[in-house]
Amino acid sequence: MLKKLCAAAVISAVGLAAGPAVAEDFPAGAVDYIIPFGPGGESDVTARFQQPFFKSLFGEDMVVSYKPGGGGAVGWSQLNTMSGDGSVIMGTNLPHIIVKPNQGDVGFKTEDIVNVYFFHYTPDAVVVKADSPYQTLDDLIADAKANPRQLTMSGSGKGTANHLAQVRFDELAGTTTTYVSFKGTGASTTAMLGGQVKAQWGYTTVGAAQGDAVRMLAVAMEERHPAFPDVPTFRELGYDIVSGAYRGVAVPQSASEELRQKVSDAIAAINADPDFQKQMLESGFALANVAYGAEMDAFMAEKSEGYLAAARSVGLID
Amino acid sequence: MLDFLLSALTPFNVSLALLGVAAGTIIGSIPGLTATMAVAVLVPITFAMPPDSALILLGAIYTGAIYGGAYAAILLNTPGTPSAIATTFDGFPMAKRGDGDLAVSVACLASVVGGLVGALALLLLSPPLANAALAFGPVEYFWLAIFGLSLIAALSTGDFLKGLIGAAFGLLISTIGISETSAEVRFTFGSQTLLGGVEIVSALIGLYCIPVLIDLVATPARHLEPAEQTRGFRLPEAFGALLRNKFNVIRSSVIGTLVGALPGAGGSIAGLVAYSEARRSNKTSEPYGKGNPGGIIATESANNATVGGGFIPTLVLGIPGTPPDAVILGALLVQGVRTGPALFADGSGVVYTFIFGLFLATVLMLPVGLLIGRFAYRAIVQAPKTALVPVVAFMTVIGAFAIRNNLSDVVLMIGLGVIGWIAGRRGFSVSPIVLGLILGRIAEQGFVQSWTIGDAIGDLWGQFFGRPLSMGIIALTVLSFLYPFWPQIRRLFDRRSRDARQPGLPSAPVGAIAKDLIAFLAFGGVALIVVVQSAGLNPEAAVFPRTVAIGMLVLVVLAVVLMLVQRKASKRGPQGSAVRRSLVPIAMLGGAALIPILGFALAGIAMALVLVFAAQHERSSGKAWTGLILGVGLTIVLFTFGFRYLLDVPLPMGLFS
Repeated sequence: MLKKLCAAAVISAVGLAAGPAVAEDFPAGAVDYIIPFGPGGESDVTARFQQPFFKSLFGEDMVVSYKPGGGGAVGWSQLNTMSGDGSVIMGTNLPHIIVKPNQGDVGFKTEDIVNVYFFHYTPDAVVVKADSPYQTLDDLIADAKANPRQLTMSGSGKGTANHLAQVRFDELAGTTTTYVSFKGTGASTTAMLGGQVKAQWGYTTVGAAQGDAVRMLAVAMEERHPAFPDVPTFRELGYDIVSGAYRGVAVPQSASEELRQKVSDAIAAINADPDFQKQMLESGFALANVAYGAEMDAFMAEKSEGYLAAARSVGLID
Repeated sequence: MLDFLLSALTPFNVSLALLGVAAGTIIGSIPGLTATMAVAVLVPITFAMPPDSALILLGAIYTGAIYGGAYAAILLNTPGTPSAIATTFDGFPMAKRGDGDLAVSVACLASVVGGLVGALALLLLSPPLANAALAFGPVEYFWLAIFGLSLIAALSTGDFLKGLIGAAFGLLISTIGISETSAEVRFTFGSQTLLGGVEIVSALIGLYCIPVLIDLVATPARHLEPAEQTRGFRLPEAFGALLRNKFNVIRSSVIGTLVGALPGAGGSIAGLVAYSEARRSNKTSEPYGKGNPGGIIATESANNATVGGGFIPTLVLGIPGTPPDAVILGALLVQGVRTGPALFADGSGVVYTFIFGLFLATVLMLPVGLLIGRFAYRAIVQAPKTALVPVVAFMTVIGAFAIRNNLSDVVLMIGLGVIGWIAGRRGFSVSPIVLGLILGRIAEQGFVQSWTIGDAIGDLWGQFFGRPLSMGIIALTVLSFLYPFWPQIRRLFDRRSRDARQPGLPSAPVGAIAKDLIAFLAFGGVALIVVVQSAGLNPEAAVFPRTVAIGMLVLVVLAVVLMLVQRKASKRGPQGSAVRRSLVPIAMLGGAALIPILGFALAGIAMALVLVFAAQHERSSGKAWTGLILGVGLTIVLFTFGFRYLLDVPLPMGLFS
């Protein structure tokens, strides 16, 4: 942590002093931050969280724009045609960039995306209405075992993190639940709140936004979320699930090694800011710090294996 | 409560509301720039403000943009935002006959009333309405979409079968791309662009606006009838129209509020539902669809009511009611305002200040909207065709680009426009196609989700037909489908009039029948392709498009048989020059191809030069020409700068960057 803070201080000092003249500097001017989704989603919100911190750390604007379509595919398939001089960065998401290219030709391959930093994730969580009969995860499992297939759970879409978590959960718990796919977390939360389904495969952010209206039965984190000290992890309950949707920043392939490292350091510096951390945690996000280099390679290898296995077992990919 | 009112009325907040409404109205009036985009562009500016001021600004922009969408709908037959689709139905006919100024004023008054009703509901009824909205499940959304489709019966002027075929075509277009419910890639034919599906706003622009442009250049006739003399705002007349439609405006505002409160429905559906209901209960002799102000009143009051209505789930449940609300919700999170159940319970000041701010913005919309509307009307009516065509064409190109920052959407927009024009010639009006396109995704998601749930609990029938809310919507749908046929149905049961059958119409010329036949075969071909391709998809991705395509095939066969028996065909022959007409899409496609090389401004000017030539019917002096070219060029450059620097749209710079 200390190392990262030092790095941040150095970068910001350099960034302020050197200005735009030095080649390969980052940021050397306003940075286009392209979100491959529409406005208002988690990718957008967390980019908006970063925006003011970027400005105050580096003195340059970070301009958020959108290139939605195909669940991110439209943006990612164009990333490598963009300028690699540090003027453009793009949001990147797991499991999207791992699962989608394996479902068919979506215009990019997982290896085409140069991920330089994953800065947070939304941990998967099982969420029920406050007045639901399920008080604990065990209640839910007991009902699922007694009534196979009848336990309906809403989720934010096939092939998303929470769908893959549902698949893994069914395997580990020996249950057969029905996953009902909605368009995004908002719609899936609405269905849960309205009692259209019995529970939701949501994220910790749903718990943060809905407060007392809902109850989270378990979260897929290594340790309990600081904002929800009373909610157990799946691991505590005996199910080895640590997963969620990871979000980060990618650059075009033409960006030099040096620049990739610099972008990674810049995002790390924002992540190190206590005010930023506080804002993220209060909204239910969980911070991640996966930096460019060997760390990123190992992370991607591990996650690819897990996500692809789950996607394969449910027939999403061949 | 008074404190909140006073804090909403600080000079800073009032000027923000004024600024927001004006900016929103202008942005909304440009086809392609939606309310969602207007709000998203402004979000970074609001970071430096206190939360209540930020919210007032965003709410004001949103309100203005929804109203601004009416201008293009009335004056150009192109909804500026999807919410204004139904405004075109009566607005454009009014403008055509010279009542464009009245239509704009009526739209403004109706928008203000709708906005106030929505805001009032937000103030007084938020928690109960939010909970009521939760009762709306996937099945209800499915039936709501079907109810929206029932408008086809009314919109397919003259030929119901053709309307149904068009709607099926629209439904099929909506299934292109990665399926929302099953994540499967469908009907993309290997195209990267189509992965993200056909973008609705650019499709709307293409289907509605390009045919207008094509017909505009073909003949020397004016675009709109000019007014004989200056008539001001025609406010007394507009008020009169509103008073005659007092039940209409209240009903439509309530519909707008309720539909707005449903997360996932939005302004376009609210407008369509309100229009449909207004049309059904029309007691006046003036028919809808031919320039009845009631149609504008219904749509505009409903879509502005969705602003307040949409904030209900946004603020109470933390779930965005409409797409712009999603952006505002994100901005609130960044501001550190927790939405959700606690917000209203705490009696948090931010919420009430914001609601009063929304009232303020809505009231300010009256003077601002009338003034800008007057300007827009004058600009469109007085502009010579030679200036109007190139500038509007450029606006559609840059607008279609800006939605997803994607040049392929521009090409798609132009292609759909040409399809829309040809279909229109053969008696397939574009509105049913648009209806299918807009409602298709909602219908499919609702259908697949209901099926999944019904199948899991082992009660499919009960899931689709057994829920009380669904039954209500189904009943309304049946009523709405049958209503336009009421005279025929009555004739069927009335023996006396059955004897007095209408004399048969003279049969159509063989050429027209052959052309109609080709159109039917083309639509049938599309359906066949879908049926064949569906075979390779997983069942969840295939069920909806396959069902629609099979239905469409049946309709095509039925229509062909009927046509050959009755020898009835579309009689609308094209007027004017075919060369001029074909210059419109050719110039626009050429312009789109030049954009990566020359940048937007230069490519736009090159395109405009061809279009000026195509639209020029009289000889004019060299001086007039120079003035015209300079004016058009300057407008295009100004637009490009506005998009790049005010709206932060990453336009391709071309070689001269």
